[in-house]
Amino acid sequence: MLRQFKELFRKELKILLRDRQTILLLFFMPAALIFFLSLAVGGMQADVLIGRKIQTVVENQAQSPKANLLEKKIKSHKLIERKVRPAGMDNDRLFESSKVQAVVVIPRGFDEGDSPVEVYFDPVIDAGYKAAVLSMLTSLTVEVVMGIDNLDAVVANMIVEKTKPNREFPNPLEQTVPGFAIFAMFFIAIPMSIIFLKEKRDGTLPRLFTYPVNANLVTLAKLAPYYIINIFQFILMLLIGVYIMPYFINFSLQWGEHPWHLLPITLIVAAATTGFGVLVASLARTPEQSSTLAALGAVLMGAFGGIMVPYFFMPLVMKKLAMLSPVYWAHQAYLDVFLRGAAFSVILPKLAVLTGFAIICFYLAGRKVKWM
Amino acid sequence: MKALEISSVTFSYDKPAGKNKAAGQNYALRDFSMEVKSGQFHALLGPNGAGKTTLMRLITAQLKEYRGEIFIFGRNNFDKRALHDIGYAPQPVSVYTTLTARENLRLFGVMAGLTDEEITRRLAEVLEETGLAAYAGKPASVYSGGMLRRLNLAIALLHSPQLLLLDEPTVGVDPQSRNHIYETLMKINAAGTSIVLCTHIMEEAQRLCSTVTLLDRGVTVFSGKMSEIENLEKFFLEKTGRGLRDD
Repeated sequence: MLRQFKELFRKELKILLRDRQTILLLFFMPAALIFFLSLAVGGMQADVLIGRKIQTVVENQAQSPKANLLEKKIKSHKLIERKVRPAGMDNDRLFESSKVQAVVVIPRGFDEGDSPVEVYFDPVIDAGYKAAVLSMLTSLTVEVVMGIDNLDAVVANMIVEKTKPNREFPNPLEQTVPGFAIFAMFFIAIPMSIIFLKEKRDGTLPRLFTYPVNANLVTLAKLAPYYIINIFQFILMLLIGVYIMPYFINFSLQWGEHPWHLLPITLIVAAATTGFGVLVASLARTPEQSSTLAALGAVLMGAFGGIMVPYFFMPLVMKKLAMLSPVYWAHQAYLDVFLRGAAFSVILPKLAVLTGFAIICFYLAGRKVKWM
Repeated sequence: MKALEISSVTFSYDKPAGKNKAAGQNYALRDFSMEVKSGQFHALLGPNGAGKTTLMRLITAQLKEYRGEIFIFGRNNFDKRALHDIGYAPQPVSVYTTLTARENLRLFGVMAGLTDEEITRRLAEVLEETGLAAYAGKPASVYSGGMLRRLNLAIALLHSPQLLLLDEPTVGVDPQSRNHIYETLMKINAAGTSIVLCTHIMEEAQRLCSTVTLLDRGVTVFSGKMSEIENLEKFFLEKTGRGLRDD
């Protein structure tokens, strides 16, 4: 029995790994998605201001002592990268060129308090950038007008931030690494169902049953390689997120307070994704049908489950609907580890949902599957 | 000793309807009986849809819900040990094309319960017998139609079965490969292996087989010695009619 299992397992693994398209689908697709979408999502979040500069044109029309001091302070601020307005170009053209995001004008009469500082923003600028620039200008203007040397230092003695670390709003890597790892794990249903249906169609699977082999053994040997590959997919994506992505993006993926919780989560997520694959294989009649069904299922579950559009961006109705997707529960379980440092008792209900999903898939597939 | 004994087998692909399970059903085989003695080379002939492939699938226990009994060397075919005695080459080339011939043979050798030493020895023998030795390390996806047919046969031969079931083993192959297959089969039969051959090539059946069963619409229309038949093709058409079988 063990020899037969080993040989069937080896056969399945060889068929799977000799298909270059499958390798691309299972390993390169999620790696590429993690890389590009982490960069994209990073740009959407206000946290990205750290270490980034805003291209700004500063025009001092007053040329008075206070105006000159304000101009000097703005130019030397860490948030600002000073740009010069090309001759004859108005603000609209400047913003269209995408080389400038803000224009600050210190008008005549500033010293006398007759004219306020004017700020123009690129209409498409992120609200986070806008708030940061306005806050910076307010501080610097107050410093100049009130004659304070460093307002931030003064305020620092009066206001101390006591906020706990954010536990609900994942950074781009916390969002995309587990998200697209889960997404890719669900894509295992494509090669799994295609190989199963091809074996049925070309007669190799029925031929196996003309030998004294146990059907349960064949089932187990067919599932095990996909289950193991699922686990490898997650490990690889995790390593990319922890060790490679920080070189390209100003965020990091931390192992969390209880990294060992990743083990039961990954084992159960892999069971759910393998179950989904078996269900697709049992429902489809042709390899073409199975690939469509598996891809559609994975994409829909991913979209509903908060992978494509982060869960915290979703409206309330969508947040409720997300709970129908196993991807949501899997993603939230991983966020419990990476973001929230949650106790295992908090993760357990999510794992129960995923286990339930896996059991339902295996049960339905078991009733539906036709070996011959 | 009977290599194969089939007694009153009835089988339908239709699902039983209501309480009367026999009513309104299309039978693939109806009260079919056949015997193959040990060492015989037996032809199983019939037009398309006669029930030949169904019979092969019943013998190899791929289809299980039938009436009647099937014995292989005295053992009921549901007995797993009976399957050890059968070598089956199905009509579609049923090999893993991603795997090499050697990997295919090893896989099915392990399924048949051969030890590693037996696999190593038999693998070399069957590759030689089927003329595939030079290509054993190449994936089957690059094989020609004839090579695939020979690999299909090699898998069936690997565990040295006592009863070989061949479902149209020479379909779509060139005369060279066909002749090679014939010679291999004659050699195996001469060594004592019983063979049941399903084929539409009448010369093939007449050249190789000593006994014949003619099957049509699930029932036996003739069973006897090949030597009693002068022209098999003429005899076949007389017994089964000249009308096309497209249904």
